[in-house]
Amino acid sequence: MGGKCSDFIGGLSDYIDGEAEPELCEEIEKHLGQCENCRIMVDTLKQTVSLCREGREEKFPPALEAKLNNLLKKRWEEKFGKKS
Amino acid sequence: MNEKELIKRAKSGDFEAFTVLIEAHKSKIYALANKLAGNSEDAEDIVQETLLKAIDKIDQFRGEASFGTWLYSIALNQARAHYAKAKQADLKPVEEYLPGAHEHGTEHAHEGFTLFDWEDPHRIMESAELKRVIDEEIAKLPYKYREAFTLRYIEELPVKEVAKIIRESEAAAKSRILRARLALREALSNIFEERYGRQVQ
Repeated sequence: MGGKCSDFIGGLSDYIDGEAEPELCEEIEKHLGQCENCRIMVDTLKQTVSLCREGREEKFPPALEAKLNNLLKKRWEEKFGKKS
Repeated sequence: MNEKELIKRAKSGDFEAFTVLIEAHKSKIYALANKLAGNSEDAEDIVQETLLKAIDKIDQFRGEASFGTWLYSIALNQARAHYAKAKQADLKPVEEYLPGAHEHGTEHAHEGFTLFDWEDPHRIMESAELKRVIDEEIAKLPYKYREAFTLRYIEELPVKEVAKIIRESEAAAKSRILRARLALREALSNIFEERYGRQVQ
């Protein structure tokens, strides 16, 4: 690996996620010290994931809740009969 | 009442037991469907199809996995089925996301071209807008990439698990996850740079 950006792009995710072998980490870090664009690339790839994880809790929509109750009950009765 | 007892009752036709079982998992299923679908309308369809399928197949539930895992795998299959027929564009090969790849080829990729440095995107966008922009860009990814990215980074599953779900080798799963991440980074970078430019002016 000669330190060209294209040499290690395939290993970037492993590196960023802390799953790369120590040798690869070392090579990437050496390259990052010399290459501003790759430093930005690594930093923004990290941020891409952390931004996607922000404020992720989705509320179950109340309208869907109401619709589902009837629909599921109906399907249940088709399957098991009207006993429950 | 524990899960085993609830499942036994549900299998014998107790609807209340079934509703208790799904109650604990439906928000998680909805959140997953929302990410995979990229819009709430399709997400609601996927949740509905998942729970109806769970009723149809409840007799087949053997308890090898937990009820939550079983439901989750039905939801994943329903989402896949939803998008299986959709014809979607592919993403560029990994190398083409390198800075300057188009201008100079990958040999001297960086000459005369500097990537936009985000620093902190929160300084140019409110959190709510940032979330909307990110959701829109995730939704624009072709399904197979959106699926791999969501499973790996939102659901936080290990690559091995993602590979199993998408029925690909680990190497193929890794490549798909990376391409999704690179594409999303590039799309967000263009938006941030444009916004930053507007603010500077």
